[in-house]
Amino acid sequence: MTGLSTLFTELGSAAKAPTGLVPFRFREVGGDILLTNFLGDWLFVTQDEFRALTRGELDSASPLHDKLASRNFLREGLDQAKAAERIAYKKRFLNWGPNLHIAVVTLRCNETCVYCHASRANMDAVHTDMTPEIGEKVVDLMLQSTSPSVTLEFQGGEPLANFPVMKHVIEYALARNRAYGKGLEFTMVSNLAMMDEEKLAFLVDRKVQICTSIDGPEHLHTKQRILAGGNAHREAVKWIERINKAYIDIGLDPTLYHVEALLTTTREALKYPKEIVDTYVGLGCRAIFLRPVDPFGFAGRTAQIVEYDRAAYNDFYRTAVEHILDLNRRGEQVLERYGSIFLTKILGDDDPNFLDIRSPSGSGIGALAYNYDGKIFSSDEGRMMYETGDPAFQIGDVFTSTYRSLMKHETVRALVMASIRDVQPDCVNCTYTPYCGVQPEHSYRTQGTIFGRMRESTLCAVHKGIQDFLFDKLRENDPKTVEILQRWTTVRARTHFIHASSAS
Amino acid sequence: MSDMSFHLGEGSVRIEFDEGLYPKDAIYGAAYVFIDRCWVHLDRAGDRRIQVTLKAKKPGADTQIYAGEFQNELLGQAWRLRIVEENKKLVESITARALGGAAGPPGLDELLAMDIGEETAFEDPLGIAMSWEEKYKKKGKGEGAKAEAEDASEGASGGEKAS
Ligand code: SF4
Repeated sequence: MTGLSTLFTELGSAAKAPTGLVPFRFREVGGDILLTNFLGDWLFVTQDEFRALTRGELDSASPLHDKLASRNFLREGLDQAKAAERIAYKKRFLNWGPNLHIAVVTLRCNETCVYCHASRANMDAVHTDMTPEIGEKVVDLMLQSTSPSVTLEFQGGEPLANFPVMKHVIEYALARNRAYGKGLEFTMVSNLAMMDEEKLAFLVDRKVQICTSIDGPEHLHTKQRILAGGNAHREAVKWIERINKAYIDIGLDPTLYHVEALLTTTREALKYPKEIVDTYVGLGCRAIFLRPVDPFGFAGRTAQIVEYDRAAYNDFYRTAVEHILDLNRRGEQVLERYGSIFLTKILGDDDPNFLDIRSPSGSGIGALAYNYDGKIFSSDEGRMMYETGDPAFQIGDVFTSTYRSLMKHETVRALVMASIRDVQPDCVNCTYTPYCGVQPEHSYRTQGTIFGRMRESTLCAVHKGIQDFLFDKLRENDPKTVEILQRWTTVRARTHFIHASSAS
Repeated sequence: MSDMSFHLGEGSVRIEFDEGLYPKDAIYGAAYVFIDRCWVHLDRAGDRRIQVTLKAKKPGADTQIYAGEFQNELLGQAWRLRIVEENKKLVESITARALGGAAGPPGLDELLAMDIGEETAFEDPLGIAMSWEEKYKKKGKGEGAKAEAEDASEGASGGEKAS
């Protein structure tokens, strides 16, 4: 039996477009053929079944016919109203504006990391602190979003280095939101080394979700993140444990409420897939996001130190997720975030609205990034590009821009159009288009065009690799594994962190 | 002569090809992608041949890679033009829905900032301020109803001035 590569040559003029089928795309996964349609329905057929289809043969009494009908691959019997409803539901994120508002309250940082140059300044660079006035303007713009709920994410640098302004902005947002009545959440991304009891008490009281960076086991973390006069890993671990205890003390369920940690997969990290997973599980994390290093935070020679071939990343991903699945089989409840995002679309028939993996992407219409100086960008990645000298993604500033001028900005329009996957070369024929998404800023940074060339895109390679892996698991259809993957599509809401949305 | 040829120079590469191979917009688009790394020169090289010269801004750049990347980008641009042409409606409707949903209706600030000057303030495109006699005085019975329908349909199609 030969694979798909020679099938159409063999068939020659005998190849016939099957009649009665809705438009679909196909890909060989693990020896079988995966079909996906425009609704996001999918189905595996054997190579023989696929061969029959390519000869235009489809017996209405065959099991294949039933299989295709049950998954909406046949035009006849397709409930068009229901199909339209499903698409509208999955794309409901288009009905409202940015939910995520990233405020870079300072570029100052007390740590030096191998993969982060663009987004940090030394601790004496106080001119990179956001002022309270700019912080207030950020809140004013954020609350004008058409989104019924908004999240204000404090980033840096190290946001705790400008804690007084962060505090002021939180109080201001809570007060202002009384008039707007939005579901309001706060998040802080911090290395935790500047945390103290007083700050923690405030953050817990104001329901600020705390997120930190863990690069893996101590030897890896401390090699990549240098804390002058200290140990970055021990500081982070000490505070993760302390914060998790604070949540328990106020009666929150520790399986749901705990510090979230983010991984940056560098070249060095590729050597430790299992150790990294074990470190996260040991810290009580229930979700691990195996993100490849992104190209925004560094430039030039550093890229050669931290970057790597994406095939190596895909091997790392498979090993790590196999380990995570093993842990689940032994009763540990832990998921991988990439997997969870794609599976929610593949198995859950929904879109989790993850801004960088949706079509169109969330650049501008799903998120805004506010620099310490008041400049506004379509994303945090766009902001980092500005810090390395390219203002392509600046769409305004807090002093002169109105909310609607930001949303109607020509850059935002271009980013939307460039990130509709169904109409990009390669994606137009790709089996994974119904589930995929690429942030146009990434294509611009790596290939010089917001449209990108997916065949050469490292992000596409990662997304393809992950979806190949997940679909292969679904093809194998091991009941226990499928049950675990199914569980990853259900994300429990952390309602404690949402400030009441009743307007006064 | 083959359809596409390359000439490597000192820190530069010259690419020549038949102008019928790719649409002009694709050639402009592909060339533009290189302006951050190269000085880009577009020219005509004789009968129906286009010549693109990419001169690296930084010394030591591998211009052969640029030549390959340029070809790939040309193909991508040409294909995208074709896809977008075929899917224009889809792109427009998704974009309109996304931007409309994100921007929302104009707020009070925006309404206040609208240009309502002496010349525009008293315009009455729908004839709301006119009496019935003024509006329909030249029309006989029956024609008025038709005119009304026309007015209504013009209003629905986008608010152009009816006068
Ligand atoms: S980005 Fe890559 S994996 Fe995703 S839809 Fe496009 S071609 Fe497919």
